[in-house]
Amino acid sequence: MSVDARQSFATLRMPSGFGGLLPALVLITLFFLVPVVALLLRSVTEPEPGLQNYAALFGDGTYARVFFNTFLVASVVTAVTVVVAFPVAWMLAIMPPVLGSIVFGVIILSMWTNLLTRTYAWMVLLQRTGVINRTLIGLGVVDEPLPLINNLTGVTIGMVYIMLPFMILPLVGTLRAIDPMTLRAAALCGASPIAAFRRILLPLSLPGIAAGGLMVFVMSLGYFVTPALLGGTSNMMLAEMIAQMIQSLLNWGLGSAAAFILLAVTMALYALQLRLVGAKRLAGGV
Amino acid sequence: MLLDYDRMGWLRVVLLGFTGLVAAFLLLPVVFIVLLSFGSSRWLAFPPPGWTLKWYEELLADPAWLDAALTSMRIAAMAAVLAVAIGLFASFALVRGEFRGRDVLRGLLLTPMILPVVVFAVAIYAFFLRLGLGGTTIGFVIAHTVLALPFAIIPIATALEGFDKTIEDAAIVCGASPLEAKLRVTLPSIKIGIFSAAIFAFLASWDEVVVAIFMASPTLQTLPVKIWGSLRQDLSPVIAAASSLLVLLTLFLMIVTAFIRRRFSK
Repeated sequence: MSVDARQSFATLRMPSGFGGLLPALVLITLFFLVPVVALLLRSVTEPEPGLQNYAALFGDGTYARVFFNTFLVASVVTAVTVVVAFPVAWMLAIMPPVLGSIVFGVIILSMWTNLLTRTYAWMVLLQRTGVINRTLIGLGVVDEPLPLINNLTGVTIGMVYIMLPFMILPLVGTLRAIDPMTLRAAALCGASPIAAFRRILLPLSLPGIAAGGLMVFVMSLGYFVTPALLGGTSNMMLAEMIAQMIQSLLNWGLGSAAAFILLAVTMALYALQLRLVGAKRLAGGV
Repeated sequence: MLLDYDRMGWLRVVLLGFTGLVAAFLLLPVVFIVLLSFGSSRWLAFPPPGWTLKWYEELLADPAWLDAALTSMRIAAMAAVLAVAIGLFASFALVRGEFRGRDVLRGLLLTPMILPVVVFAVAIYAFFLRLGLGGTTIGFVIAHTVLALPFAIIPIATALEGFDKTIEDAAIVCGASPLEAKLRVTLPSIKIGIFSAAIFAFLASWDEVVVAIFMASPTLQTLPVKIWGSLRQDLSPVIAAASSLLVLLTLFLMIVTAFIRRRFSK
């Protein structure tokens, strides 16, 4: 067999072509696409064909409140995460490697530790008789315990904690890619540190901030565990409402309509993010 | 000078201090839970009035915890093996294949990572109810393989993109069969990617809560489901003991990962 023939044989036979995708496509089609589409169909067929489930969701004040809570928490979490993550990412990008690897180690430890473990820790820390309240009272900052749990404050604290690594890590990449020379040049030309930050560093890191921020926002919108455990029953968020409608109320029509709304918003924001960063970088950068 | 570590002056002090605070914030719950698991107070008073191992004894004496841990281990191992195998083939196709709609298919395969997991949980729950797979190990494994697949594809595809294909071609020119070249040249070169894929896929299943809550039956519970159930009852220190063991596992995985990365990259 000639070398040419061998090479073309190689590309034909091995899973370099479309064939290699088949197992993955079968899995995703059968156990992802079909179930999700079937669920969404139930939103317009149960209890009877029509859009009454969506009308109910948009027409009722109780549901409007859930949507409002969800967007409020996601927005606040994103804003706080961006502001807290930026200085950390900034330092991580230029820190000496030894110091940096310690901080990276802490971030990875926090990120890889079981989600329920971390949430449990916050439940204990934030409760009425918890360490945080006792410390604040001990220091004389407050007279009686602050309500830090079973409300949106608790959800926000817990979610910021979980989302911080997802914001810090991509931002480090963005900041590392900025040439320090541009900032030296700015300083030489007489720019004050504030001006250099506002007119050079911040604009150059904006793509990273936008991409990370969108990711945190999208993840927060659909988050279930932390809101369910740190939030109160009167301040439900969307993911929790969907689970409750289906698991306890067995209202498949309404539950799947709410699921469709969550899915549509998520996908729209995700498409926006693809526009901003490009599909490949997003997939490779996670 | 804002990106010159050595020439930032007072700004560096402020930013480093802030970074230290954030690191402490990230470390706080993890350290807190480990300390608490050795504390003698049933009501989780902190600092604890005394130290004890009784929560660990209680944890190990309850077969339900061990059962749940073994179930999780079994499901996560199966899901990880499946996800890495399927992901390996898919990555070759995505990186090297030349066919129309490749980017769309790549997006499709990564969607389970982006879609809010509660939507998938509810959908697969309904689907498996109809197929009679609800509350079964096979159902768990299928659902978790779907969720783990993106975490397997991303590191493998990234490693494969960084591998120079002409080396594989050279092996073929030198007489290796295409399969041999892949097994003995390409796969060893991307093993860090495959290894990361296995860890991430395992963790994706091991830590998964939402699908598990919907899928679980009284006889089949994963560890997160068991913790979830206990959390909804009370904040018993036994959960702190279980959590500390999970932190230990995380540390172990981090050390293994660091070790293997260092060895492989030499």
